[in-house]
Amino acid sequence: MNKLTRRIILYAFAIWSFFPLYWLLNTSFKTSKDALARPPTFIFKPILDNYLDVISNNEVWNYFVDSLIVAMGTTFFGLLIGIPAAYILARFNFKGNADYGFWILSTRMTPPIAMLIPFFIMYLKLGILDTHIGLIIAHVGLNLSIIVWLMRGFYEEIPMEIEEASYVDGSSYFQTFYKIALPLSLPGISAVGIITFLFSWNEFLFALVLGDSVVRTSPVGLYGFVGYQKIYWGQLSASASLLLIPVLFFVFLFQKPLIKGLTLGSFK
Amino acid sequence: MKKNKLSHLPPIKKLNLTRRHFVKATSALVGAGMLSSYGLPLYAAQNVEEMMAMYKSANMDWESQKGSKIVLSGLEHPWMQSIEPLLPHFTKLTGIDVQVQKQSESEYVAEVPVKLGAGNPTPDVYMVWSYGQAADAGWLESLDQHFDNPNLFDKNWYDLNDIFSSARSFPIWNDGESYVMSITAEAQTMFANQNMLDAIGANVPMTFDELLETGKKLKNDDHAGVAMRSKADGSAGTWPCGGFVFSNGGVVMDNGVCVLDSAEAIEAVQYYGQILNEAGPLGVGNYHWYECLNDYMQEVVAIGMDSSNFATDIENPEKSNAAGHTTYGAMVSGPGKQAKPNMWHWMAGINSKSQNKAAAFLFLTWANSKPTCLMSSALGLATTRTSAWESDGFKSAFGTQAATAALTNLQNADGKIMKDCWFHPQGGEILTPWGIAINEVVTGTKTADKAMKDATQKINKALGV
Amino acid sequence: MNSFKKQRTKFIVLMLMPATILLVGLTLFPFIVSLILSFTDYSLLRPGQTKFIFLDNYIELMTTDEFWIALRVTVVFTVLAVLLQVIIGVFIANLLHQETHNISFLRTIYLLPLAITPIAATFTFRLMFNPSLGVFNYFMKSLGFPPQAWLASPSTALFSLIVVDTWQWTPFILLICLGGLASLPNEPFEAAKVDGASNWQIFTKITIPMLYPFIGLALLFRSIDAFKTFDIIYVLTSGGPGILTRTLNLYAFKHGIEFLSMGYAGSIAIIMLIITIVVAQIFLRKNNLLKPKDTFKR
Repeated sequence: MNKLTRRIILYAFAIWSFFPLYWLLNTSFKTSKDALARPPTFIFKPILDNYLDVISNNEVWNYFVDSLIVAMGTTFFGLLIGIPAAYILARFNFKGNADYGFWILSTRMTPPIAMLIPFFIMYLKLGILDTHIGLIIAHVGLNLSIIVWLMRGFYEEIPMEIEEASYVDGSSYFQTFYKIALPLSLPGISAVGIITFLFSWNEFLFALVLGDSVVRTSPVGLYGFVGYQKIYWGQLSASASLLLIPVLFFVFLFQKPLIKGLTLGSFK
Repeated sequence: MKKNKLSHLPPIKKLNLTRRHFVKATSALVGAGMLSSYGLPLYAAQNVEEMMAMYKSANMDWESQKGSKIVLSGLEHPWMQSIEPLLPHFTKLTGIDVQVQKQSESEYVAEVPVKLGAGNPTPDVYMVWSYGQAADAGWLESLDQHFDNPNLFDKNWYDLNDIFSSARSFPIWNDGESYVMSITAEAQTMFANQNMLDAIGANVPMTFDELLETGKKLKNDDHAGVAMRSKADGSAGTWPCGGFVFSNGGVVMDNGVCVLDSAEAIEAVQYYGQILNEAGPLGVGNYHWYECLNDYMQEVVAIGMDSSNFATDIENPEKSNAAGHTTYGAMVSGPGKQAKPNMWHWMAGINSKSQNKAAAFLFLTWANSKPTCLMSSALGLATTRTSAWESDGFKSAFGTQAATAALTNLQNADGKIMKDCWFHPQGGEILTPWGIAINEVVTGTKTADKAMKDATQKINKALGV
Repeated sequence: MNSFKKQRTKFIVLMLMPATILLVGLTLFPFIVSLILSFTDYSLLRPGQTKFIFLDNYIELMTTDEFWIALRVTVVFTVLAVLLQVIIGVFIANLLHQETHNISFLRTIYLLPLAITPIAATFTFRLMFNPSLGVFNYFMKSLGFPPQAWLASPSTALFSLIVVDTWQWTPFILLICLGGLASLPNEPFEAAKVDGASNWQIFTKITIPMLYPFIGLALLFRSIDAFKTFDIIYVLTSGGPGILTRTLNLYAFKHGIEFLSMGYAGSIAIIMLIITIVVAQIFLRKNNLLKPKDTFKR
């Protein structure tokens, strides 16, 4: 495949990925009449009202802050708890390794709907309903399987020789993990970190049921723009568009190791 | 409004007032008289002192629950939207703080059952979406003892006679107790684009056959004739199609048994499907409220038949191209049958696990009182009070003709046959298979006969009858 | 030697401890409750009169057409959507890995479907699919094709949902594969280039096999999640036309949350869990992903 074909395909895929968002952005600059106009309008008199509306809406800011706290917290604690488990599963052959790994995976398989009420009761008794930490715990639990399994995959790709050499040099297990394995797995951590952040940022059902008025993340809050018998297109699209900015910023930050991974790879 | 084709609507005074479930005739009531007796300006909310005097004229202790805090939970619904701005008055009057939780319908019906099912003490007051279910599950506090408490309720001041009789009888559950208060009133109402009707020289249709014929004539490359909800869901097609079943002499439930396989019901659903198939827009089988209302407001469809509440949006020129030339009309009827549109009262009740029941009751009383209804109706809310419907504020916000049509349809509706189905404790298990059956007929995957018979069998099995 | 073994055990236990505590604490109680409920007729409508009915819920389920239709819909949806996502995801990841210009920009664009609040995206699709006002039919008409009913027609509804799911989730596969590609050693690729292998040969003979564990994991997680798909179907079709797009999870939601029959809903959830466990076990064993490839010999 030559360079030109490759680029055409890559940009075509970019258009496909972007088009629905273009339509959303487009809608966010429209009056409610234009949003539904027939035929759909590509060129129109843009208005900023929807954005002014959303920016001056304190609730939307609160959704944003809550989402940010929960998603950052989930990513941090998820990686903190998940990476050590992944490392063990990848590097140590102990009895029950496979079963333990599968058990972790199975926590993702249960459809949440049947579990919602017991889950809610548990949180009610513990008194962590409608708290950031409560939702972070739930989100870490929901995403731990993916963190552990993906990170295990990344560790398995790293040749063991360096770590083994480190043991020979007299380093402890923990030092080896911390000083050698962890830095080598940065591209993996970056990809998994982005995924965890996005999963938590956009999680709906648990955020709805376990959160309330204190903690209301943006997926739950934005659903409020879907009114009874009508949809507030302007506010919905404007706030969704604005909420992309912090996510892109986060993704951008976490992307660096993905690119650096190449140079790290050649070091091996 | 260019033309008010109201001639086909029965004049309100002539309506049969003796029927059990008719709302009380508006003309006999205080309405404007009440306005003058209170000397109330149109947007009373601005005149706080006078409003306070109105509330305080009640012989009850508004401040008995001073200092408590209640959580009010509801949907993003016109009721919540018009009550919310009035809450500072309530707090000023009673010293009770109200915390509002507003959600979209999908969120609400997913979250609130989880909370109530787990015995959570909040919300204290909430909008009830499925009365039978909530009453049967024990999620609601009986209001009767509070009605009898002179500290919390002044019967004379509250004036029950001012409330539509259907709204009064709705909350009475089969054990004789009332667990909710009706807070809004909606009736199935036709809205027709008068320009499009004029273009083909047609009148507002009054029967199923006329609707089919007119709809087919209206349909062209530019716009469709008729759009009504028919998404495969218990909350979509069932309500408007219910009006078709009722207006064809059918019912959904008879003595606890589903009879949607009756000839009348099958014929009604057959009409519903045929009208949408032959006069509806492409893909009407996936239409819910949003699509029906949007299509109508964008003038992509000429006739709709849904909640009277649509009028507020249809007449808003910022949203709607059909503003100013929409005619609101009566429900269509089956061959030789009497029109019985569907209707609905949204209701609110108190969580049986609430720790602030008295405060919650004070809130309900306040929210449903004359002065509050006057204020909320001036914001376009269709309340349950005759005095509010008659007020100038409401008429200008809702549109006189739309209000008249809605009221007429409300009067023609039969609350009992509607309640038998929608208030059934297992209402969801009736509505979901039926909604799916309607969708199957509209999308042409099954004939009306087969779809309705299958659905009825399934429903009766679920109900154990 | 003994103290060495002790140290090793201690390290393993400590490293696994936090994850174990969290998951046991979080999932054990809800799981046991829903397992027990699935053997009862527990309904929130009459919580005081719950009876133990053993396997009745399961028998009822197995003898209901709707369950089998929902299962079929779920399987078809999962298989087609995930296959499409894996093919596109791996292919694009590989192309992007070779690209030299604007990589950052392209990667960011590709991630957008995963980043946007799903409810906003889903409702945008609902608007775009709208047969009379939507932009999809506008394009169809502009290109001279007849407009489609998309979500309302039995022949296109499931396909439309798969398209939406693919749009939303291909970036997930893409991201994992990019991470995988970035962590692969360069030598095999360079050696192949020196030997004069074509790009296609490199892709099929080196990239795919080396990336295989990542593709396998991405496919596994996507399948587990797609099997539980709820939101997009709930918003876009509610399971229609008829019940032709109603998945098991939607079916469980109807019974559990709308009808309050928690026992019955519990049995649907348990069946879904069993199916997923069996399929995942087979998949992981066949692909040698269950056990670590290579571990410390000591």
